[in-house]
Amino acid sequence: MYSIWMYISYYIRPLIKWFLRKTTGLCELQRICYGEKHGSVRIKGVENSLNLSRCPQIKLLVNHLNDVCDNQRFTASNEREILEGATRTVLWVKQINPQVHLQFVKSFSRCVEQIWGYRQLMTEVETLRTTSYDADNLDHERKLYELWNNLKPDEVLTSRVSKQWQDIGFQGDDPKTDFRGMGLLGLENLLFFAEEFKGPASHVLSHSLHPHYGYAFAIVGINITSMAWCLLRDGNAKTYFYNTCKSLPNIHHFHQFYCYLFYEFDRFWIECKPKNIMEFSDIRTKFEENIRASLLDPHGVFRINVSVDTV
Amino acid sequence: MGLLSLLRKLRSSPEKDLRLLLLGLDNAGKTTILKMLASEDITHVTPTAGFNIKSVISDGFKLNVWDIGGQKKIRPYWKNYFENTDVLIYVVDSSDKKRLEETGLELYELLADEKLENVPLLVYANKQDLPDSLTASDLAQALGLPTIKDRAWQIQACTASQGIGVREGMEWACKSIKK
Repeated sequence: MYSIWMYISYYIRPLIKWFLRKTTGLCELQRICYGEKHGSVRIKGVENSLNLSRCPQIKLLVNHLNDVCDNQRFTASNEREILEGATRTVLWVKQINPQVHLQFVKSFSRCVEQIWGYRQLMTEVETLRTTSYDADNLDHERKLYELWNNLKPDEVLTSRVSKQWQDIGFQGDDPKTDFRGMGLLGLENLLFFAEEFKGPASHVLSHSLHPHYGYAFAIVGINITSMAWCLLRDGNAKTYFYNTCKSLPNIHHFHQFYCYLFYEFDRFWIECKPKNIMEFSDIRTKFEENIRASLLDPHGVFRINVSVDTV
Repeated sequence: MGLLSLLRKLRSSPEKDLRLLLLGLDNAGKTTILKMLASEDITHVTPTAGFNIKSVISDGFKLNVWDIGGQKKIRPYWKNYFENTDVLIYVVDSSDKKRLEETGLELYELLADEKLENVPLLVYANKQDLPDSLTASDLAQALGLPTIKDRAWQIQACTASQGIGVREGMEWACKSIKK
């Protein structure tokens, strides 16, 4: 059934595009950019159109941009050059006059920034995730200490291997084995939350120590890293990034996404009034379903709604 | 008999349902073994908060494997999962010599529980790939397994992260039930 649909759309799509082009005098990319406000709907539309294009120059452009991002060469210093190059190619291929369609040039270039910024972010996140936590690496160790200092500013860590780590929700006396498959990404996510969202993080930490609804803060945090990483990888997080990023997406935006998920998970957990930690997998699954559903809303905006409550 | 239960009966496969309980200290490799059994990707395992459960078909059995978190705070909940267990699988990190005593104490506490009476025991001596990890026979000695007389037991060397030895252990588990 699916293959029949693919077959039909392969032949019908160009016909519809040709018809609309003749009647509106605008190419598909222009229609998307003029028809939608900046945000996930427009960017996803442009992304889809570019990826489906059968025009050799556009295909070449897409491959080139993919290559740049997979090698993490899309940076602030060459961003303008890359965006201008991409826009110029499209203007030339689609015979668009930039003087007349100034707005299109702006809109399209912002879309390219987000589409390939997201792709590059996936590579960046994957590099961090596949870097295992290494206790011999001073930088890794420093980050671990910083995590402690940010979460427990009034308490001194008595030694590197200490029972105290369990107070912030690691499993044993040495956190190094807890990062596992999330590697350095798990640590950096936690550290960003503790450092940049001090209030919400200590609020969540205090919930995790609740006598009835408590959970292991760091372990749950590492599981949230896994959720954020899955959503990024399967593309569902695009709604979030395309709607919220105001500049080239980078690791900070991913950390912010993580913080949002962790904060919301904590709220959901408390609302569920679990009997004990053994309900974690069920509640986690339900939470992920809710997040996936809200990411389907193209206009979804995600912000940490800081509220002080007393459980 | 209602229509629903009739349908259910017709649909049910000839496989026998078995309940396998996967226990051990944190970082022993329980979730990796579980994922290996289910042929899932093991490169992004996270510490288990709570438990994971998966069903695998093997040797004409439907194995329902329960993987319970090994963190000290979770261990008191282990006993909630003992009922109707067919095989107890205990996973040990063979390279973690510091916690050998702790893992032994936890194991004997399990064996003393009446709900696990006579339940066959499979011990995975995991992480054989790591330098200075104990061999399966050394680990069996260190844990005093040869003194166990009240049940069938087996120790299996394995490197779950590479899928080595996991199958062999499960074959023993299935055989021990057929008896």
